[in-house]
This record gives sequence, C-alpha cells and structure tokens, in this order.
Amino acid sequence: MKVAFPYMGTTVIYKKLIELLGHDVVEPPEPTQRTIELGVKYSPEFACFPLKVVLGSYIEAVELGATTIVTSGGHGPCRAGFYGETHKKILRNLGYDVDIIVFDDYKSDKTGTIKKVRRLKNGKSWFYLWKSLKTVYSMAKSLDNIEKRIEKMRAYEVNRGECTKAWQTIKTWFDEVENIEDVRKTEGKSNKLLGEIKLIEVPEPNKIKIGIVGEIYVVMEQSINLRIEEMLGGLGAEVERSQYLSKWIDFNLLPKGIGKEHELNILKKGEKYIQEIIGGHAKQTVGHIVDYAERGFDGVVHLMPFACLPELVSQSIIPAISKEHNIPVITLSIDEQTGAANTLTRMEAFMDLIKSIKRTKIA
Amino acid sequence: MKKVFAGIDVGSVSTNVVVIDVEGNILSVQYLRTNGQPIEAAREGLRNLYNEFNTKIQIIGIGTTGSGRQLTGIMVGADVIKNEITAHATGTITHVPGTRTIFEIGGQDSKIIFLKDGMVTDFAMNTVCAAGTGSFLEHQSERLGIPIEQFGDMALTAEKNVRIAGRCTVFAESDMIAKQQYGFSKAEIINGLCEALVRNYINNLGRGKKLEPPYVFQGGVAANKGIVAAFERELGHEVIVPPNYNVMGAVGAAILAKEHIERTGKATSFRGFECTDLEFTPSSFICGGCDNSCEVIKVQMDGKIMAMWGDRCGKWTNSIG
Repeated sequence: MKVAFPYMGTTVIYKKLIELLGHDVVEPPEPTQRTIELGVKYSPEFACFPLKVVLGSYIEAVELGATTIVTSGGHGPCRAGFYGETHKKILRNLGYDVDIIVFDDYKSDKTGTIKKVRRLKNGKSWFYLWKSLKTVYSMAKSLDNIEKRIEKMRAYEVNRGECTKAWQTIKTWFDEVENIEDVRKTEGKSNKLLGEIKLIEVPEPNKIKIGIVGEIYVVMEQSINLRIEEMLGGLGAEVERSQYLSKWIDFNLLPKGIGKEHELNILKKGEKYIQEIIGGHAKQTVGHIVDYAERGFDGVVHLMPFACLPELVSQSIIPAISKEHNIPVITLSIDEQTGAANTLTRMEAFMDLIKSIKRTKIA
Repeated sequence: MKKVFAGIDVGSVSTNVVVIDVEGNILSVQYLRTNGQPIEAAREGLRNLYNEFNTKIQIIGIGTTGSGRQLTGIMVGADVIKNEITAHATGTITHVPGTRTIFEIGGQDSKIIFLKDGMVTDFAMNTVCAAGTGSFLEHQSERLGIPIEQFGDMALTAEKNVRIAGRCTVFAESDMIAKQQYGFSKAEIINGLCEALVRNYINNLGRGKKLEPPYVFQGGVAANKGIVAAFERELGHEVIVPPNYNVMGAVGAAILAKEHIERTGKATSFRGFECTDLEFTPSSFICGGCDNSCEVIKVQMDGKIMAMWGDRCGKWTNSIG
C-alpha cells in the first residue's frame, strides 16, 4: 500500500506516522502553481480554495504512485465535511485508481473508525500502534514549539531568510526520528541551531505582535497563503497562529477531558459573538481575536478562503469585536492569485497603522 | 535655488509627480498616463519637472508610492518608499485636517481609509475584481459613446432614478442594456451607473463599518460629479473633493519624504535629474534553486545590478551588498 496524505503545514508528522506503521509513503510535493492549476481545473468552480489545492496535491501524489490517501474529515455544518467524498468522486471520474480513507469524527462511527485503523495498522500490534502514536504526538508538540519560536525570531533576524532556512533543516532532522527519545534529542539540537542565529535587539515595548486567525488550511499552509508569516516577519512583526497541528490533535482526537482546555477557553471567548458552531473555524476565529486582544497583541490578520461561508460570517462581526477590544484586524481572502504585491501593500499599511497606534500609546 | 521635496505616485493608470516646498506648499503638479510603462512615465515626469524649473529648484528629499513604487524608488534613489494607503492618508490629513473617512477610487483599485485624530485606524482595499473602479466607468462611457469627461455633468441632468445592479460589472452591463430597452435616457442610465458604483463601493469596502464625516473623496474618479452627487445622496452628507484630489498619493509621498529628511537630518539619496538618462532595465527570471520556483526581479542600471527581490529564501535579495 503506497500511502499519501493531504499537504498541510508540517507534513513530516503525518509522514512519520505512516512510515512507522510500515507503509510506503508517497509524500505529495509542497503545493506549487502547478498543484493549484490542477486543482482549479478539476474542481467545481464555486468550491472553496482549500478543496481545490488539496485535490491538486492528491493528483500529484497519485502521479507519484500513491494508491491510498489518508485524510481527516471535517465536522460541523461547513461543506468541508464532505471534501473526502467529493475528492473521491472527482478522482474516480478522472480515472485514477486510488482509495481514500477518511477519518471522520470517531465518536459518531466507532466501528467504522476501528475498521479503518485496522487497515492502516498493517498487522502491527495495538501496543506498537500506541507507541507510534505517542512518538508522533510528541513530535507534533515539539515541532510546534520550535515553529512558535521561529515565528517570533523571524522579526529580528540580521540575515533575512536565516530562520526559514533553519526551519527547513530542522524538519529534515525530525524526518529521521524513530522514538520519543529521538524527538527529545532533535528538539535540543534544533534549539541549539536557532540559538546561533544572530538577532537584532529590540526593547520589549517596541515589539510588534500579530495574531493570524481564520480557516485552518489557509492559516496553516504557507505555500498558498503568500507565506504571510514570512512576509510579516520581514516587516518586523512577531506572529502567532490560531492553528497548530498539536492543538488540533488535542481538541479533535484525544479522549474527552484531556488537553482541551485551551480550545474550549477560546470558544468561550467567542461565545458572545457567535453562539453556535457554524462550521469551519468561525467561532474559533472570533474567540482567538478576543484572546489576542486580551494578551496584548498589536493586531490580527484574518485569513479566509474566498467565499468561505463561516469566515464570511466572522468577517462581518469583526468590526464590532475590533472596536470593542480596541485591536486592529485586517481580513485577506485567499484565492488562486499568487501575486504577493497587493498583499504586501496591505500588510505594509497595516504595520504603519499599528506603529502609529503604538507611538501614541507610548507617548 | 529653492529647496523642495518631490513625491512620485506610480499607479496602474496614472503616474503623478508633485513638488512641495519646505513649508509644504504645492509648487508643481503633473498628472501623466502610465500607459503600462511605469518607468518611462516617471522619467517623463522628472524631465518635465526639469524643463519647468531647471536649476531653480534643488530636490532635498524624494518619496515614491503606488504599485510601481519599488522600481521607481530604485531608479530615482528615493528616500522613502511607501505603500499608497499611508501616502494617501498623509496627503489628505495635511490638506484637509480633521478628515475621518477617505474614499479613494482610482483606475484599477479603490480603497477606504478611516482616520481618527489624524491617524489611520482602519482601511480596506478592493480585492479580486475591479468592479466599482475607474476602468468600469471608462468602459461604460465607451459603450454609451459619451466621453468620460462629460459623464458626471450628464448624470446630474437625469430626471428619473434607474436602479442598476452593481454587484458585478458583468451583471451591471446586462442590467444596463435591459434598462435601455425600457426607454430610460442616457443621462438616467449614467446616473444609475454612478449610484450602482457607489453602492457597490460602500458595501464592499465599508462592510458594516461606521462611516464618520468629514468625508473626503479623491482619486481620478472624484472628477466625476455624478459619483460625488451619488455619494452625497447615499450618505446624506456633504462630501469634500479637495483640490489636487487626483494626485493626493504623490502629495503624501512628498510629505513623507519631507518628514523623513527633517527627522533624520540625512542628505537625500536622490540621484539627480540625470537618472532619467541612465539605462535602467528591470528583468525577471525563474530561480531554479529549489521547488519554490520564485520569480525573481532583477534591476540593472548601466549594467550594474541595483536590486533583486521576489525570492522567498533571500538568496538573491541578500546577494546585493
């Protein structure tokens, strides 16, 4: 079984799990212009951008020989919950012989989920599976910690691009780990590498912190969001995302009562503005904006796929939140356009706005 | 020799050059068509400036803005290269103090800027499509066979109101044709278009935000009295069109250059009027260093590489000493 997965964020983590279970991994290439073109060509025109890019990346994986694709399903009323099925159908119509295993919310279909796990388990013992999951989970935690550090450092690097380069190196190191012990060692080695990067000293009150919120795919996948983190870092802002893989695992995959406090807390903060889960990450989006305001961030960038319904709802509530919590928010809608010039103009202006607010606050 | 500051706004449709004196008074204004050649337009602007003043002025600071700001900035040796939001806001707030909301509609883009106490508090730019910009109006004027310059005056003569769908340019066009068949006059159709454009603009960029007066309307489209009147009807309030409304970005760039020079006390990095004669060639190539396949822009001046950008890893950007 040659297994592939959707490309989103730090993919070395999914790759590792499939590898530990003894499958051949076909890693889809990071989305490029070609991926987007393929996805756009074969997707329904009005489907949202993540569906298109993921489809393109599946096609590229199949071209590389993948026979099975493993993905998570969505839940809630947003159409993302139906992506797995839509992708299956499109790929079948295109004549690709590929199997898609979709992991939906396990609580709603326990036996189905167990069946799927058995297939992927590849004859390994349940104990071995448990051990592998633990390794991969610790890897996700550790990579997220490192990435968070990089997202702060990038604003102050002396040689532009050095942090991003280190991040690429670190991911290849993590590709080699086999157990929790390795993860620990690699994390140490990575932090040492980061420690060697030369940074400009900036006094605490002058630091600019920007939160990035919105739909999970456009927030996490840098290749399609115009590398917004690197862009903001280059303009001198520390960034933090609303979405990290380890947090997603905590909330969606761990059993009840473990590791969910953070996300529940965020949802509570958004309660005032959006009461119901309306799909996607709309409720998290508003919650995170409130959270960033409370934590003293200077601004928030809200990313949404063009015409994403849940995020359109949050977009229309944002002016009220922004006013009430005194935090500037800018919304960017992400689509096929890859030209970064427009976005750069907006981000530069956004930084000017933040800096002038900061100046009057200090004065 | 009078000491002055210059601002250049290189936009998609027009390229504007403005000169201000040390007190901030506007001495010279040029409005040129970009015609798809931003560098050439900026050069022409500087040449005109030289012909106008010759050695009577000395540029002691220069700023660029607009979509061509980077390239032009390198060519002239700009002290400040600023995004158009900040430049427009700076220009307006200096000339119309107290402004709370700026409507800016240009050839290819439109923006709204919210200010409080002379500071930008929020802004939005149109995304994805060019509905509700000057290009749309220009296209319709061709279609109706009425020069764009007469559009506004004609709209004001409309006797009846026609509602034209303004959500999307393509829909607006078919709706407009349908209304023509109903027998509405050209003036009424034009007025309907102006109203559609304003509705579209406020819905798209205002997005539920509170629009506080005083309102200032600028950009090339502000020349159109029909749109100004439509704004005033929609808002129920007077809308100010400042003098030099079509070059506010360049005015802002000049002011930003002035502030920069005054704050830092530095000498300008302006290359002098001679820069218009230098051979200046931007080019681009796809870097094959990795899978990112970045489109790298390379700018050469008299054979020497002046700047490179567009690479994600910084390999080329950092290669310039």
